Amino acid sequence: MDTHMRILSGIFRAVALTALPAALVAQDVAIKNATVITITRGDIPNATVLVRGGKITAVGANVAIPAGVRTIDGTGKFVMPGIIDAHSHAALENGINEGAESVTPEVQVQLKNDDPVIYRALAGGVTAALLLHGSANTIGGQARVIKMRWGQSADSMYFKGAFRIVKFALGENVTRASSAAPADERRFPMTRMGVEFTVRYWFTKAKEYDQEWKEYRDGVKANPNLIMPRRDLRLEALTDILHGDLKVHSHSYRGDEILMLIRVADELGFKIHTFQHVLEGYKVADEIAKHGAMASTFADMWAYKVEAYDAIPYNMALMTQRGVVVSVNSDSDERIRRLYQEAGIGVRYGNMAVNEALKMVTLNPARQLGVDKMVGSIETGKDGDIAVFSAHPFAPEAMVEYTIVDGKVLFERAEANTLRKVAEKTPGGQY
Amino acid sequence: MARRHFLAIPTALAVAVATASAQTQDPGKATAAAPRTDYALTNVRIVVSPGKVIEKGTVLTRDGRIAAVGATVQIPAGVTQMDLTGHTVYAGLIDAATSIGLPSPSRALPATANAAAGPAAGRGGGGGAGGRGVPLGRGATPAAPVVLPEIDAGAEAADMFAPTDDQLKAFRAGGVTTVGLVFDGGLFPGRVGAALTGTRGGAPLALRAAAGQDVAFGTKRGGVYPGTGIGAVAYIRQAFLDAQYEARLDKAFKAGIPGARPSNDPMRRAMMPAATNEMSSWFVASTERQIVRVGEIAKELGLKGPVVVGSQEGWRVIANLKAAGATAVVSLQWPSADSITGREFLAVGSGKTGTAPAATAAETKEVHGNAAALAKAGIPVALASYGGESGLTFRDRIRMTIEAGMSPDDALRASTVTPAAVLGVSAAVGTIEVGKLANFVIVSGNDLFAATNPIKHVFIEGRIY
Repeated sequence: MDTHMRILSGIFRAVALTALPAALVAQDVAIKNATVITITRGDIPNATVLVRGGKITAVGANVAIPAGVRTIDGTGKFVMPGIIDAHSHAALENGINEGAESVTPEVQVQLKNDDPVIYRALAGGVTAALLLHGSANTIGGQARVIKMRWGQSADSMYFKGAFRIVKFALGENVTRASSAAPADERRFPMTRMGVEFTVRYWFTKAKEYDQEWKEYRDGVKANPNLIMPRRDLRLEALTDILHGDLKVHSHSYRGDEILMLIRVADELGFKIHTFQHVLEGYKVADEIAKHGAMASTFADMWAYKVEAYDAIPYNMALMTQRGVVVSVNSDSDERIRRLYQEAGIGVRYGNMAVNEALKMVTLNPARQLGVDKMVGSIETGKDGDIAVFSAHPFAPEAMVEYTIVDGKVLFERAEANTLRKVAEKTPGGQY
Repeated sequence: MARRHFLAIPTALAVAVATASAQTQDPGKATAAAPRTDYALTNVRIVVSPGKVIEKGTVLTRDGRIAAVGATVQIPAGVTQMDLTGHTVYAGLIDAATSIGLPSPSRALPATANAAAGPAAGRGGGGGAGGRGVPLGRGATPAAPVVLPEIDAGAEAADMFAPTDDQLKAFRAGGVTTVGLVFDGGLFPGRVGAALTGTRGGAPLALRAAAGQDVAFGTKRGGVYPGTGIGAVAYIRQAFLDAQYEARLDKAFKAGIPGARPSNDPMRRAMMPAATNEMSSWFVASTERQIVRVGEIAKELGLKGPVVVGSQEGWRVIANLKAAGATAVVSLQWPSADSITGREFLAVGSGKTGTAPAATAAETKEVHGNAAALAKAGIPVALASYGGESGLTFRDRIRMTIEAGMSPDDALRASTVTPAAVLGVSAAVGTIEVGKLANFVIVSGNDLFAATNPIKHVFIEGRIY
């Protein structure tokens, strides 16, 4: 290639580059000289993490950083995978609970993409979350798994490739145990017996519905006059659960209700994918593990209602010991900013290994959301979702300095000196 | 509730429009109806339609319709001549959507009409609207029919349009001679209609019923399903699916296929035309996220050419509107530039102060330029006062729309031809062409939208106001 050609080709490349969306170009970043907590392959001291085009392309001690890539000096800092919250109701609008019915899996929550809580979550190193329907219904609505792509439209924040997830709920919230309304103004079910019946009743209906459609699909080939059955979005969602296409995350507290749901699910032929809260999970961890379910719990919240009296902070460690994949979640627009501290409680109560504890806010919730192939650890090929801490995340003084999503630095503490103001303008906001 | 009154308009619309009965909007004044005067508007500049102008000519009316238009028109005897030298006559403006004069979507309905209303009605034992039914409920006694406000899909806005004289006067003062009738919220509050804004001689107002199926993301229903905005979306999708199922049953029944038995569910029957694209669906959606949602619903359910009423943040989601093949009925009640979706992004983030900077003039212009941007992108645009309390400022707001970048021809099209088309009344209104209703707005000077050119006369159905 002669010089002219090279110049021309160079110009062409430059033009092509400027024609690309700016976002693509901005998805390159490197952090060097940091302690990298990979989660899956231990910690690497004095290492570099290179992100190009939004994906991690290199991790290790001897990584060359190409010219022009924004480089963060990680000396003395700790780099970990972006934190994942497996239970949040943040940044939702138009209702959390479609609570007028006891079974509403046809409903889906709606993301309010410009809610400042997303930025506050970024300030806590959170890069993805499961936004769940509330717990008013035995079978509630469908969730959204999002990435914290602050500044983007709602639909571009949805985490592509994540599980479809639906909320179930058991116990006091569903039965409205603490409702002041008289019994005849409360809707069915009002007892734990009723909750069990509701699950069994609706899945029995769903099986009939599934059969009706199967007969139609089988029969229509021979008889084109067969009338396509009525599509029922509610029953359709339940059949999706039966087929494993829609994963159940069930709000739960007591051991007995967890066993009940496992029994009913086994009987009816579906799986509980993850038990949420699951504060008495330590009592029935073997049964949870045997069913193949995972658990997402609080670190040390208890006694805030009758069914939460037997909660213990050893729950995370004990369930983990018995082979359950455990995450620790926020369920709160406040705790979402300090989930790494919540994970650390597992070390204090139960002597969890440090990285085993960190898994509870990274790889384990990623598995529960169906995104562990893409995020949850720092490995080549995974998404460039990264949190950079000023110290080890379990150190009391640790603060998040950078939060990176798809290779874009979306939170930078040195520039973000206004969190107090952000909090002030958010109703109920805390910073 | 007012009885339905319709004008006889050309046969193209005969399916949707019944001939006017002898009754009038105001029975007390019925006998006082004056005989119509026919007019010849002479020496007037005529804007026949956007971009089509006769610099000096005559418009002749007869019996409330346009009898002749042209540079030279033979004026018959007995016609009242008006020399309009120095004036311009336009087709009367059409405000594509207003809720003025309509009842609330949350109106209580007669229990009998609604016992079965709702997508879940056919669910069978135990279903009810999803769990309130017998097996899960309160024993064997059937529950009393539940009044479900916000859902009355078969109701016609054209039947219910009952504006005050002052409200009509305000529309006319804004140059509006025809209005699209769209309810203010609800879920399935009824059907879109069109009406005239005249009052003289007890002439009927309603011009067309069943122009579209009004859909909105209510809801103020509280403890009744759907009681939230998230439930509303599921409910809306199910309602369309149920009507599509009903249409399948109907078709099969007519073809004599064994086992096909259509229901008599009033909700499903009412929703059938919209669900099968025989009638357009008019979704009330203004914000970015709402408009995106309309596109998703339309795609999922195969709804062609949805009409998006409000469309206030339409310029932010042009691709979605285009993909849906949507018509934007753009409200000229602009939201504050400080409240637009994504405004928080300017306030919150690295290097931000925590408070969004006050909207600049350019940002306000962007909001006001919504209709212009949509038109430029090739999306059919109809302008509307939707959300406003009066039609009085309609012409002024169109002027502001032009100032924000819309071409005067596009603005005129968006306030005459396009709304006439989307409301299904093109045969009757929207241009100054022979056979159409003699609906005019006449201004001094040569520009309807110039602030300095006052409205001289408004004609509706050949009557002068």
